[in-house]
Amino acid sequence: MKTSSLWRMMPLLAPTQLLLISVIVIPSIYVVWLSFHASTYGQAATFVGIENYIRVLGDPGFHSALWNTVVLVVVAVHLELLIALGMALLFNSGLWGRRFLLVAVLAPYAVSEVVAVAMWRFLFDQGVGPITVLLNALGLPALEWSYEPSHAMIMIAVLTIWMHLPFTFVILYAARLALPSDLYEAARIDGATRLQSFRRVTMPLLGPAILVALLFRYIFAFRMFSEVWLLTGGGPARTTEVVAVYLYQEAFTYSAFGPASATAWIMVAVSMLLASGYILLLRRQVKNAA
Amino acid sequence: MSYETAFRLNRRTFLGGAVSGLALMAAGPAFAQGKTLQVLSHRVHQTSLGEGDADMLAAWKAENNADVMFTTLDSNPLMDRLFREASLAQTDFSVGYMVDNRPTSENATLFEDLRAYQDADPIEDFDDIAPGLVQGMTIDGRLIGIPVRTATQGLFYNEELLADAGFDGPAKTLEELVEQCVAISAKGRATGMILASDLAVFPVMFARAFGGDYISQDFTLLPDPAAMEKALTVLADMFSRGALPRSYATNKGEELLTWMQQGRAAYSVLPFARMGQLADPALTEYAGKIKVTAFPGSETLAADTAMSSVVEAWAMTIPANAVDKELAWSYIKEVSSRKNTLGMALNGNGPARVSTFLDPELTSKNDFAHIESEVLANARGAFPPFGEAARAQQLFLEEVQLTVLGRKSPADAVAAIQSRIQPLLPA
Repeated sequence: MKTSSLWRMMPLLAPTQLLLISVIVIPSIYVVWLSFHASTYGQAATFVGIENYIRVLGDPGFHSALWNTVVLVVVAVHLELLIALGMALLFNSGLWGRRFLLVAVLAPYAVSEVVAVAMWRFLFDQGVGPITVLLNALGLPALEWSYEPSHAMIMIAVLTIWMHLPFTFVILYAARLALPSDLYEAARIDGATRLQSFRRVTMPLLGPAILVALLFRYIFAFRMFSEVWLLTGGGPARTTEVVAVYLYQEAFTYSAFGPASATAWIMVAVSMLLASGYILLLRRQVKNAA
Repeated sequence: MSYETAFRLNRRTFLGGAVSGLALMAAGPAFAQGKTLQVLSHRVHQTSLGEGDADMLAAWKAENNADVMFTTLDSNPLMDRLFREASLAQTDFSVGYMVDNRPTSENATLFEDLRAYQDADPIEDFDDIAPGLVQGMTIDGRLIGIPVRTATQGLFYNEELLADAGFDGPAKTLEELVEQCVAISAKGRATGMILASDLAVFPVMFARAFGGDYISQDFTLLPDPAAMEKALTVLADMFSRGALPRSYATNKGEELLTWMQQGRAAYSVLPFARMGQLADPALTEYAGKIKVTAFPGSETLAADTAMSSVVEAWAMTIPANAVDKELAWSYIKEVSSRKNTLGMALNGNGPARVSTFLDPELTSKNDFAHIESEVLANARGAFPPFGEAARAQQLFLEEVQLTVLGRKSPADAVAAIQSRIQPLLPA
C-alpha cells in the first residue's frame, strides 16, 4: 500500500483504533504497571518489582485455583465439543421437530448467567431440590455439591457445559450445513460406510470449525467466574476456587490491586499456553488454505 | 400541502423531537428540586428511613430544596464502590455508608474528619450515640463516620418447631442448644440450625460462648486457643450429627432468613433487626412463632463472664472528594436526630443511640427491644479493622469449614489459624 493512500485512510481508521487503544491497550498497560506495584485504597502505589508475581505464584491458594481451572477447562470444553458435535450431526440427519428443538438447544444462551445458576442451585438443593428429591425417590445418591469437592466440580462442569453448549453447537452445526452433499454421495458410491464417511469426510472438513470452537471456548472457559462464584463461591473451603475467583477476591475483597493485576497477567499467559497448540494448528490450516 | 406530508416523520423531525425530549427529561428534575444529594448505601439504610408518604426526610428535603438519590448495593460491593469513589479526583456521592470493620489508617484518609463539622454545627445530643461505636469510627484521632445502625446478633428460634420436638422454650446454654438442634433434625421436619459459612460472625459467637475470641480489640489472635478449639469441636459435632444442614459450606448470609421464613430450620443467628421480616405474615407462615433471645454461653463459661455477642455497626461518612459536603453534613445531622433514630428503629433499624432502646414508643411496639438492648451492652465487633482483615477472615473461614466438614481436626485448624493469620496482623 502506498504511504500517501495510508495517510488518506488514517482519519477513517482512527476512531476504531482510538477506541481499541482507550478500552484495551491503555488499561492493559496500566494493569502491567500495577502488577509491579503495591497498591490499595488510600495508599500511593509503591514499586515492588516482581514481588507480586512471586507472591501469587508461591501461594498454595493460587496453585489450587489454577489446577481447578485447568481441570474444568479441559474436561468441560472437550465434553461440550463432543456433545455439540453429536447434536450437530443429529440435527443435520433430519431430526423430527428440528425447529422446536433448535430453540430448546439455544435457549440457555439467552438466559442470564445469574438466573441460570440460581435455577441450578434450586434444582440441586440438597434439601428440597426437585432433582435431589427425584434421585432420592429412585434410591440413587444425590449430588452433594456443597459438601463433596469432587461433586461440586462435576456440578460446575455440567453447568458450564449447559450454559455454553449453544455456542459450540451453532458453530459446528453451521459448518456441517455448509458441507456439500455431493461429497457424501461420492463417498457412498465408493462404498464408504456411515462411520467411514464421518471419519474421512465430515471430520476433516469440520476440522477448522472445531478448532475455532475449541480455541474460543478454551479462552472463555479459562475466564470462568459466575458459575463458580454464584454456585459454590469457591467452596467448600476453597476447594472449587478457580483463577478468576482468586483474582476477584484479591482485587475486590482484599483490595490488593498489585497481586490481582499479576494474577490477571498470569491468567493471560496460561490461557495462551493452553490454547497455543490449537492456535498453531489453526495457523497451519490457514497457511495451507492460502 | 397534504395532511400526510405535514406529519411525515423525517430524519430532521425525529432528531429534533429526540433532542427536545432529552432536554425536557434533563430539565425535569431541575423543576422539581434544586439539589440532589447522592447517597451510597445498603438498601436497608434507605428503607429504614421510610419511603413515599412515610418518608422521614420529607421536611428536610423541603427545607433544603433537595432530593436524596440512593444507590444501594450489598455489603461487600458497597464497600468496594465506596472506596473506589473516594479514590477518584471527585465523586458525586456525598454520603457513603461504611461498616465498622473496614476503616483502616490507609483508607480513612479518603474521608472527611467529621469532628470539625460536629464542632461547627453539632448533631443533637451527640453523646447519646453509643461511645463505643463512635470510637470504632475514630481512626488515628479522626472521626470519619457517624454511627447510624447497629446489627446485634441474636438467637432466633421457631417456637412451633421446638414444641414439635418436645421443647417448651429456647436453649439456655450452648450444650442445651446443641442437643435441641440434634433432636429437631432427628425429628425430620426441619434442620436444627442454619448458619452461613461465609461470615466470621458464627464461629466467633461459638468461641465467645466458651470465653474465647477470634481477634481481640488489641489484635491478639485467638486470645484463648482452647476456647476456639472447643467451639470448632461443637460445630463439627453438630454437622456430623445432622444439626447443621449438609449444604453448610455453601450457605450464604442472605439465605438464613429464607430458611427461617420457610420453617426449614428451627434456630439461626441473625441481627435483631431481621425480626421485621420474620414476623410479617406476608413473608412467612410462621409469623408470631419466630422469636429471638440472647445467644447462650456454655455451661463452662465462668459465672462472672457475660456472653459477648457480635455487633456490626454502620456509619455515615463524607468522602473527602465529595461534591456537596455541607448538604451531606446536613443530611447526616438530620438522619442522626433523636426523632429519626426512633423512626428508623420502628422500621426495624438497630439504633445507634442508647436512649432509643428505652423509648416507650419502641418498647411498646417491639417485644424484643429490651433483649437487644441487654445483648448490645456486652456486644463487640467480630474483629477489629486492619488492612488485611478481609484476607484474614477468608483464611479463618477456610479452616473453620475444613473442621466443620470433618476434613481437619479442631486442634490442627487452630494451629493453622495461628500460623496463617498471625503474619497478617498489624505489627
